[in-house]
Amino acid sequence: MKNLIQKTAFAAVVMGGFGMATTVASADEAVPGLQNRTIGYVLTSANWGLYQTPDGKQECPDGFNEGPREQFKALYPNLGTVDGTQLERESASRYPMDKADNFPYHDVKGKIGIGLNLDGKVGENDFTSTDGEKGIDNNLYRAIGCTRLFRAPDGTYANFTDLWVREMNFNRVLVELTNVDSLTNDPAVDVTIYRGRDKLMTDATGANIMPGGSNRVDYRFGKNFITHMKGKIENGVLTTEAADVHWPWAVFLGRPGAYDFKGARFKLALTGDKAQGLMGGYSDIDTWYMQLVRSWSTHHSSYGGLSQPSFYRALHRLADGYPGPDGKMTAISSVLNIKMVQIFIEHEGQKVAAASDAKAKAAH
Amino acid sequence: MKSEVKFIAFKRSFVASLLTTAAAVAVASCSQATSERVAKAPAVKSAQVANYQGTIARVRRMTPEQYHNTVAYIFGADIDVGSPFAPLRRTDGLLASGAASVGVTTGELQQLQRSASSIAAQVIDKGSLDQHTPSRRDFLVPCKPVDENAADDACATKFVKEVGRLLYRRPLSEARVAEFVSDARKGANDLKNFYAGIAGVVEGMLLDPKVLLIADTTEPDPEHPGRRRLDAYSLASRLSFFLWDAAPDDQLIKDAESGLLFTAKGRAKVVDRMLASPRIEQGTRAFFDDMFGFEDFGNLAKDASVYPVMTGATIKDAREQTMRTVVDHLLTRNQDYRDLYTTRKTFMSPALATVYQVPTKPGWVPYEFPADSPRIGLLTQISYLSLHAHPARSSPTYRGKALRERLLCQKVPPPPANVDFSILENPNPLLKTARQRLEAHRANPVCAGCHKITDPMGLALENFDGAGRFRAQEKGADIDASGSLDGKEFTNVVGLGQAMHDHPQLTSCLVRRVYSYATGGPLSSADDGAITALNAAFGQAGYRYPALLRMIATSDAFYEIVEPAGETKAAQNSVSGQSETTAVTK
Repeated sequence: MKNLIQKTAFAAVVMGGFGMATTVASADEAVPGLQNRTIGYVLTSANWGLYQTPDGKQECPDGFNEGPREQFKALYPNLGTVDGTQLERESASRYPMDKADNFPYHDVKGKIGIGLNLDGKVGENDFTSTDGEKGIDNNLYRAIGCTRLFRAPDGTYANFTDLWVREMNFNRVLVELTNVDSLTNDPAVDVTIYRGRDKLMTDATGANIMPGGSNRVDYRFGKNFITHMKGKIENGVLTTEAADVHWPWAVFLGRPGAYDFKGARFKLALTGDKAQGLMGGYSDIDTWYMQLVRSWSTHHSSYGGLSQPSFYRALHRLADGYPGPDGKMTAISSVLNIKMVQIFIEHEGQKVAAASDAKAKAAH
Repeated sequence: MKSEVKFIAFKRSFVASLLTTAAAVAVASCSQATSERVAKAPAVKSAQVANYQGTIARVRRMTPEQYHNTVAYIFGADIDVGSPFAPLRRTDGLLASGAASVGVTTGELQQLQRSASSIAAQVIDKGSLDQHTPSRRDFLVPCKPVDENAADDACATKFVKEVGRLLYRRPLSEARVAEFVSDARKGANDLKNFYAGIAGVVEGMLLDPKVLLIADTTEPDPEHPGRRRLDAYSLASRLSFFLWDAAPDDQLIKDAESGLLFTAKGRAKVVDRMLASPRIEQGTRAFFDDMFGFEDFGNLAKDASVYPVMTGATIKDAREQTMRTVVDHLLTRNQDYRDLYTTRKTFMSPALATVYQVPTKPGWVPYEFPADSPRIGLLTQISYLSLHAHPARSSPTYRGKALRERLLCQKVPPPPANVDFSILENPNPLLKTARQRLEAHRANPVCAGCHKITDPMGLALENFDGAGRFRAQEKGADIDASGSLDGKEFTNVVGLGQAMHDHPQLTSCLVRRVYSYATGGPLSSADDGAITALNAAFGQAGYRYPALLRMIATSDAFYEIVEPAGETKAAQNSVSGQSETTAVTK
C-alpha cells in the first residue's frame, strides 16, 4: 500500500514575477494521479511571460507602440493607389527588410521581469524577478511588453492563445513525469513532453479543465514534439535540465505550427491535481516571427498596436542567444507562463492500467 | 392551402371519431377483462398449479419507452416520437406497475395526438434531397399507388393489414380493415393525395386505445376446463412487453396465429428465440432502469461549486455504466445476480474516469477495479452514490433507504412531518462527518426509529462523496465506514457488498419485481405461490437472470388467469364471455 500512496507536502512557493503560489495540501493526502511512479499533466493555459504594472508606465515609460493604422497614416498622408499604399505596406509584414522602417519602437525599460536565468549568469541587462532572483533572461518581454496586443487582459493575443490551447487538439501538450518517488522532493525524475490526441474535459462550471482525465500520446504525427529531459523536485517544485523543445502551436482555424525553443527548461510547482509555472528557453526568432505574421491579421494587429515590420527589427535587435555562422543571434530569451492539470497519459499499444483510487487504498 | 384545410378537417373528424370511442373501449376492455378473469373459478389440477396458479388480467397503458420501441420497430428508429406521455406513478416498486392504474388526461391526449400526427407525417414523408432526408414512404408503404393523387384501395388495404397487425398486435378483422381503407379513401379523395389518406389512418391507429392500452383478453382454457387463459395474441404481447419492452414482432404474431404459444414445447421455442434476440438487452435495460429508479437521473443536479467533476456527461454516463454492467454481467456472461453487488468488472468512459480517478481511453471500454479497490459492486458506482445523495453532500440515509426499498423490497417509513433537520442542514461545525451529524440527529427519538433502519448500511458508503468520488476524510476527520445490515456487521464497503450479496431478500426482491414487471401490475397475495416457487427455482438455477426470465415466460401461470382477491363477488354480477377485443378479432 505504501508504495502506492505518495505523501505530499507542498510548501508555498512563489516563483518569478508571476506570483505563483502553489496549493498547500495536507501531508497525508494521497495523490491519485501518481500511479506506478508516474504522473502526467496536460497544458491548459500558456501565455508569454510579461510583467505588467496597471498603467504600464513603469515598464513602458515612453508609452506603447503604434500599430498599422498610425504608421499607414504617417506613411501615406495623401493616400494613393491601392498597390502603392495598402498592398505595399501589407507586403512589408512578409518582407520586412525590403524597405527601411524608421518608426520608433518602444522596448520594455523596467527592471522587473518574469522568467528563468537561462544562461546561468547575472548580466547588466537581465531582469530581476518579483521575488528578487537576479539574472532573469527574457528579452522577448523586452520586445513585446510595450505592445498592447500582448498585454493582458485587453490584448487579444493572450485571450486567443488560451483558447487555442484548450480547443485545438494539435496544441495538446502533455508532460509526463516518470520515476517519481515523491512530488515533494525527488532528486532525479524523468520528464517527457508529448503531444496528445484527445480533447480536454471542462468541469461542471464550464470554466475549468478537470484534472483526472485521460489523453493518448500521438505517436503518429506527434513524434517531433517528443522531448526528454532530466529533472528534480525540491519542495514541490520541478526544475529540469535544458533541452531543445519543439512546442506545438496551432492558430486560427486550426492551422498547425510550432515554436522552437533552444535550451528550454521547466520550473513548475506540482500538486497531485495541477502543475503551474514557467517554461523558458531561447525562441528561434524566425519561427517566432512566422508564427506571428501567419496568424495575426491586420485588424488584430491594428487593435493591438502591433506593427509587424517594426517588431521584426526589434526581434532581431534584441535576440540574445545562439549566434549563427555570421555571428548574429538567432534566438531570443523567452518564457511561457503555463498552467497544467493532472491527466492520465495513455501510451499507444498499452492496456488501460488497472489502477484504483489511490486515496481509497489508504483506507483499506 | 385549401387542401391543407381539408386535410386538417379530415384528420379532426377521423381522430375525433376514434377518441369518442376511446374511453368507451377502454372502459369496456377493463370491465370485460375483469369479467373474463372471474368467469369461472380456477380449477386446481396439480400441486404445481396449486402453488403457481396464474395472474389477473389487466389493462395497462404503454410506457413511454414501450411506445417508442414499438414505433421504432414498425416505422424505424429514426422516427421522432417526442414525449407524449405523462410520467407514471411508481407503484409497488415499479413505474411499469403504475401503468396498470393510470388515467389519460385531456392534456396528455392532446400530446398523444400531436405525436401521432407527427409520426404519421414522418411515415409518409417523401424525403428531400436538399435536406438529406430519406423517402420513408418508399419503404414503409409496401406498394405504390396507381395514381399518387387519388385513392388506391388495393394499396391501402395492403398497408392497413401490415401496419395494423403490428400496431394492434393481432390481425385486424376484415370489417376493421375495410373501415380503415374507407377512411384512407376519404382522405385521399378529399386531399387528392393517396399518402395523405394513409397518414390519417396511421394517426388514428396510433391514438386508438387498443393500441395505446395493453389489454389482457382471455378465453376459456381447453387444457384446464373451467379456467380462463390469455388468448394467444395477449400472450404474445405479454411476452414481448416483458422481454423486449416493445410490441410483438412479426414472427411472434405468426407464432400466436399458429397456436405455437399454447404448447409447452412451442412456447419454450418462442421464448428461447426471444431470449436469444439482441432485443433482450432492450428489455433488460428497461426493467433494471425501472427497478433502480433511474428516471430520477432526469432531475439529478449537483452543485457545480462543490462537485465540479459532476458534469452533464458524467450523469449521463453514470446511468449508462450501470446498465452496461448489468447487461454484461447478467446477459453476456450469464453470471449470478448476487455477484452484481460484489463484482469489480464494469465499463469506463472518460467522463466517469475523472470521478473514479483512473485512466481510460476514449469511448466505452471494459474496466476492472483491482481486488483491493473499494469499488465493489453496483452500490459503489457513481449512479447509486450520486443519485442517492444531496446536491452538495452525501446522504447515508438516502443511500440506506434506496438499498432497502429498491434492492431488498423493504419499506422505510417516511419521516414525521415535524422532524427537525437543522442538525443536518445547519450543523455544528465540530461535527465533521456525516456519522457524527447523524448521531446527533438520532438523539431525537422521533428520528431515531427510521434512521436505525437506513443509516447503518448507508454510512458504509461514506467513503464516497455526493458525486461518488472516493474520500478518506470529511472535513479533515477520518471516515468510519463500518456498519451493519440486518444483523451482519462489517467494517467497510467491501463488507456491505458481501452482506448484500448474501442477503436472502436480494434475490427474492428481484423475483418479485421481475414477476410484477412480467405480468403488468403490482403483486397481490394471489401471487404468493408463484413467488415462492420462483424463489426456489431461481436459486436452483444459480440466480441466473435469463433463467428467471425463461421460468416466468414459459410457466403456465404466465398465461393462466385467476381472479383478483376481493373482486369475486362484484365480478359474479358482471357478464362473462369473450372480451371486446377478442370478439373483434376472432
